[in-house]
Order: sequence, then structure tokens, then C-alpha cells
Amino acid sequence: MRVLKLTPDKCTGCLRCELACAYMQTGEFQPAKSVIRVSPFEGHTSYAPYTCTQCAEGWCMTACPVGAITITAAGAKDVLDDKCVGCKLCTIACPYGTMFYDPDTRKAFKCNLCGGAPACADACPTAAITYEEVATADWIGDFAHERAARVLAAR
Amino acid sequence: MPALRTSTPSRAKHPASAAAPRPGGYAGKLLRVNLTTGKIWSEPWSPEDMRELIGGVGLGARILYREVPAHVHWDHPENRLVLATGPLAGLPVWGTGGLTVVTRGAGTDGPTSTQANGFFGANLKYSGYDAIIVQGVSRKWVYLHIHDDVVELRDASHLLGKDTWQTQDLLSAEYGLSGHQLSVYSIGPAGEHLVRFAAIQGDYGHVASKNGCGAVMGKKKLKAVAIVRGTHGLAAADPRGLVQAADDIAHDLQTDPTARSLYEYGTLPGVVNLHKLGMLPIKNYTTNVSPVDLGPWEARRLREGFDHRGHQCNACGMHHCHMQVIRSGPHTGTLVDEPEYEGWSGAGWTIGATDPQAVSWLNTELDRAGLDVNEFGWLCGWVMECVEKGYITRAQLGFDLRWGDVEGARKLVDLIVHRRGLGAVLAEGVKRAAAKLGPPARDCAVYTLKGAVPRGHDHRARWHEMLDTITSGTSTLETGNPVHPTEVGVPARVDPFDGVAVAKMVAGLRGRLGFEDSLGICIFTTRTRLENLCRALGAATGWYYTVDEAIRFGRRTGAILRACSLRCGITPATEYPSTRYASIPVDGPAKGQSIVEQWEKMLDTWYAEVGYDRKTGKPLPATCKALGAEWLAKELWGRSR
Repeated sequence: MRVLKLTPDKCTGCLRCELACAYMQTGEFQPAKSVIRVSPFEGHTSYAPYTCTQCAEGWCMTACPVGAITITAAGAKDVLDDKCVGCKLCTIACPYGTMFYDPDTRKAFKCNLCGGAPACADACPTAAITYEEVATADWIGDFAHERAARVLAAR
Repeated sequence: MPALRTSTPSRAKHPASAAAPRPGGYAGKLLRVNLTTGKIWSEPWSPEDMRELIGGVGLGARILYREVPAHVHWDHPENRLVLATGPLAGLPVWGTGGLTVVTRGAGTDGPTSTQANGFFGANLKYSGYDAIIVQGVSRKWVYLHIHDDVVELRDASHLLGKDTWQTQDLLSAEYGLSGHQLSVYSIGPAGEHLVRFAAIQGDYGHVASKNGCGAVMGKKKLKAVAIVRGTHGLAAADPRGLVQAADDIAHDLQTDPTARSLYEYGTLPGVVNLHKLGMLPIKNYTTNVSPVDLGPWEARRLREGFDHRGHQCNACGMHHCHMQVIRSGPHTGTLVDEPEYEGWSGAGWTIGATDPQAVSWLNTELDRAGLDVNEFGWLCGWVMECVEKGYITRAQLGFDLRWGDVEGARKLVDLIVHRRGLGAVLAEGVKRAAAKLGPPARDCAVYTLKGAVPRGHDHRARWHEMLDTITSGTSTLETGNPVHPTEVGVPARVDPFDGVAVAKMVAGLRGRLGFEDSLGICIFTTRTRLENLCRALGAATGWYYTVDEAIRFGRRTGAILRACSLRCGITPATEYPSTRYASIPVDGPAKGQSIVEQWEKMLDTWYAEVGYDRKTGKPLPATCKALGAEWLAKELWGRSR
């Protein structure tokens, strides 16, 4: 299965992925509704994109009481809008914080790999996000750990 | 201070015109702030005004013309501080965080249009506003907080005396936000103490620096504008068309020979390339030949000389803006913003400093203090030359200041921003300080008679920029550098020392920069054919926008700023360079070239070509009419004409 491979060392924090994602997901340029989020580290000096890893466990699916989360042809867990009742259980169940709730539509929403052509990977100017046939891994753990250690050491 | 909430107009109160729906790309509202009364309100602007003014400097020029009459000097409460973005800000074209500051500036007491990037434009528009228009003077120091529909003036007493980076650090900590979730554009100690070349700095290294806009903000007792990344969406009329135009622009930037070095290294290649042309100003225009090997100043080595971290602006794919860490010297380990060419020049070559590590550190110190790096360079270089020649003594300064002394230059920054000792004179800017000291010191100073200074080049080898700086309605570049000149019928190359040809080129290129500076996008990501920019604007807004309309728009904006400038008392009599600014280079590639001999002829040609009256400086009635501003002709020349 192709997955979104994240290489945070390459990220410059331009947030172009958020813009592209929001457009694909909502039709508007509204990063607040993006399902990929760029997190800053060490204040304003380094950045890492982060989104659903489409994890094998699929806690969101397990938690959903109405069966609104399904697996698409691209292998993504996706929310079926007509079934979702907006109970937010999935946002609590997800251990990665990549399930979101939209108060405007009263539905949960998440990365669905844009049906197999992720806009974020296409938009990233530095190849910090690529869509590849690789095993899912913890892309940002070491990156975050190294930076957190530096911040703590500086205190 | 009581917090104030905006009365965001409901749809019922301000129904959208049925005939003309709001063009895409716009947030649709202007945010007004009166610091005297504490009143904050938002007002819609019409689709017709959007088409006529676009945003940025176009919008700012209109507000300045209508709301800042002759008696409202830069420090008058009624002066307006316009912080504007444009229709492309927040959209996926590269570099769309644009901020244009328009005000009556402290440097020349005339109009200003000065740009910065970062995330200002994006964050403001996601909050629902296209521009902020500030008027009045606050009783106490405040900062403006914007988070979607919640807009408040908040007490800024704890931020007083803090530099611009500290201000953003403190507010980020208070808000619990970091990265680009919070944009803070603030003044440093320089703006607080009304230094005439104080700047507005934001998002760690993005500076709107010209004509003392920071002093205007300081006079209003507005320390900062803090914008939480808003949650509103922006719609484009033709999103696919917009993405296609953005891709074409990006392709141009990556592959066009005139833009590619910018894409790869930003403005770093400027140092070595401009030195080859005699345009790198060294030691306050006393030489154009580097005393050191320029190998370490090649762009690649300059960048590799530091530990780098990407620090791009909104949606930008350029390899331009970076943070860097100082590797050697007394400031090893310090995090700084990679200088632009202007920084390498102003904080470096102009003052005779040639160690990149030291220059980079000083450049960020200037950003943090909130000073314009250009004017500081001309001022500090001039002081160093005066010290060398004995026109300024060590006793006057309180310390020794020799060529290349970066630590000494930092001490000078302190004198200036706190107006201590000689700093009180220097804080008035190059022209006023030179006038105060008088000859022979005065004749070593680089400035324009309007009271402005050039950017970081030696214009004695770059005549088009000297003519542009001096004739501009904004005290700094109004026409800018040739970008695809043949697209607007200007020859690809002209003899750089043929005054008439240069003047025709400057006149012929007018309009493009005003258009770019109205879009809410970075000047470096617009280095593509105008046709592509018009396509992007058209796709965003839904307008059919042509290159002709873009040029006409830019020139109309220039004519309005020219009218503002004349109203401020800035007449053609001030359109001259200072003695040193117009002197003859003694060495380097431009040795012996004399612009001053051709100056009158250049002015005559420029005036004839742009259609302004040579005597009064006013745009001629026919010119106004051709630019679609008959109203301006009537106001400038009376109804009988």
C-alpha cells in the first residue's frame, strides 16, 4: 500500500500542504480545515508535517458506534458523511490526534489520501511529503525527540 | 484597558450588491481601528473598489489620498497607517503572506509604500480582513489582537522596550501558540523612540522598512499587531485555473535564467554579481573594489557557511528565506535570520565589514531593534568615514568607530534607538544629521534631497535605480528592476550610462511594481511574465484581467501617490541626489561615470515620457485621463481643464 511518507528534515514550514489539503477536502483555501497539520518545533525554527498514518489498528473504526468509517480503495480510512452522527468518539479513540471534528458540518473528518492522489504530496515544494510504497513508520519520533531534548537542554 | 469587540456587520446590515458578487480571493472586509477613541469596526468594500484598487499599495494610496490631507503630517493623530494585503494573499501562489504598509512616513513626511512577507497576509485574510487601517493615537501603549471576529486593543506595557523578536516570543508564550499559528508584526525600541528610519518587523525577519513607518506606529503608541491564524476560508473563482497559474509561475521561477538564482539562493548572489558591475557599495561610496577575496561570498559558500533551517513564507517553494546559526566569533550559536542582499550590503559592505558571520549577526540585531538596514548602513558608513576624517570625534561618540567594526556599529544602534548623545542627531536620519553637522561632513553623506536614502546598491553604476528612487512618489523604488521588460515594450538591454535611454526605460517599466505590490504576494515570486500574474489574479477573482490593465493600474496608483507627495510639499525641486550620492566612482567597473552631468536631461526625458508636468510635478490631465483617473485631473488642475 502507498502511504504518505514524511521527512520532517526537509520541511520549511511554508504550510503549502495545509492549503492544498484544505482545498481538496473543502473546495476552499482554509487551512483550519486541513487534515494535514504542520507542527512547529523549537519555536519558529523547524517544522514537521503530520497526518493520519492509516494505521493498521484503525482505532477510529473500532470506536465508531455507527460504522461510519470505512476503508477506501486507496487503503485510507474514510468517514462516510451520511452515516457519521458527529459523536466525536473517533477523535477520542485516535491515539495520534489525526481525527478532526467540523462544527460547521457536525461531522468527523480525516485524511482519506484524496482518493489515491494526495494533494499535500503534490503541493510540497521540498519533497518533505511523498506518496510511496513503503512500510508505515514513525516518521517524526526521532526528529521531535532530538528537538525536544535541545529545547530542554537550553533551559 | 477595556477589551473591545468588533461589531461584525451581519449580512442583513450590509447586503452584498446583487449586481456584482464579491470577487474570489478577497476576505471582503476592511478592519478600522481608531486608537484615540478605542473604537474598532469593520467595513465591507465594494466589488467595484476591489477591481479599481486591488489591494496593497493600490488600496493604501486611495486611503492616503482621501484621508490624509496636507496638514496631517506623519506625527499627526489623523495620519493613517494602512497595513494591507491583497487578493492573492493566503492562496496557493508562492509567497502569499504579503503585507504592504502605506502611510505618511517619518523620513520624508511624505507617502510610503513598503512591503514585508511572512504570514501576515495569510493569517489576516483567514481572519476575515483584507486590510487594517489605523488612525488616532492611543493614550497608553497597546497592541492589536486579532483572532477571527474578536479584535481587541490590549495593554502593551509589558512589551515596551522589547525588541521585535522578544515581542513575538513573549506574545507567542502568552497565547500558547508557536510557529505560524501567530503572526506578530511589531516595532522595536527604534519605533518607540520615533527614530525617523524605524521599521515594522514581523514573523522573525520580515521587515517593512521604508520611510520611518515604524515611527508612525510608535507615534500612535501601537507596539504590535498580533494575528492568530484565522479559521475562515477563501474561495477562488476558478480554483483549477489558479493552481495552474501558480504552477506556471513556480515553473518560471525554477527554470527562467533571470529568476533561477533567486529560486536557489534568494538574494545571496547579489554581493558577488553586483561587485562585478560596480554596484556593490563599499565603505560609504568611497570604493567599489573589494579589499578581500570574494570566494567566501559566493552564494553557495555564503549559505553553507551557516547551519541552516528553512523559514519560508506562506505557501512558498523558493529556497530563499532561512534562519541560520552563527558558527564563529563572539556570537557563536546565536540564531539569526539569513540576511538579504540588502543586509549583507547595509550591515556589511557599506560599513566596511567583510566577515559574513559578523554581518549576519548585526543584520538581525537591526531587525530586532526595528531599524531600516539600508538607512542604518548609510548612516553608520558615513559616521565611520567622518571619524576617519576627523569630522566626528571619539569624544562625540563616546567610543571609537572604525571601518568594519561590527561591535562598534552595534553600540551605534543603541545610541540611535535610545536617542542618546550623538544618537539623538543620528536618529533623525542621514539627511537631517548631515545638515546638522554641515560641511565638510555633510558632503560625505548618501541621501536624496527628499530626505530618503537609496537601497543597498551603488547607484552611481545603477542609474535607473537612482532616477527611480528620486522621482518616486514613495521615497523608495516605484518602478523597480526590469523584469521581462520586452513584455511591456521596453528593450531588453539599454546602455546603463546613457541617461536618456535609462530614463526612457524607467518610464517604460512603470506600473508593474505597483501592480505586484497590490496583490499580497512577494516581489521575488512575481519574477515571471506579467501575463502569468494576471492569470492568477483573474482565476482568483473571476475578472478578465489583462497586462494592459495591470500597467494602467500600477501607473494610476503611482499618479495618486505623486499627488499625495506634492500635497506633502515634496516638489520637483527636491528631485536631486546628495553630493556624495551623485559623485563619480573612483575605481571599479563604473570608474569615471558621471550621472550628475546627465541628470537634468534624465529628468526632462522621464517627465516627458510619464506625462507629468516638468515644472509643477503634477500628472498632466491627459495622463490622468489615460490612466482612468479623470477625477484626479479635476482635483489637480481644476474643473476648467
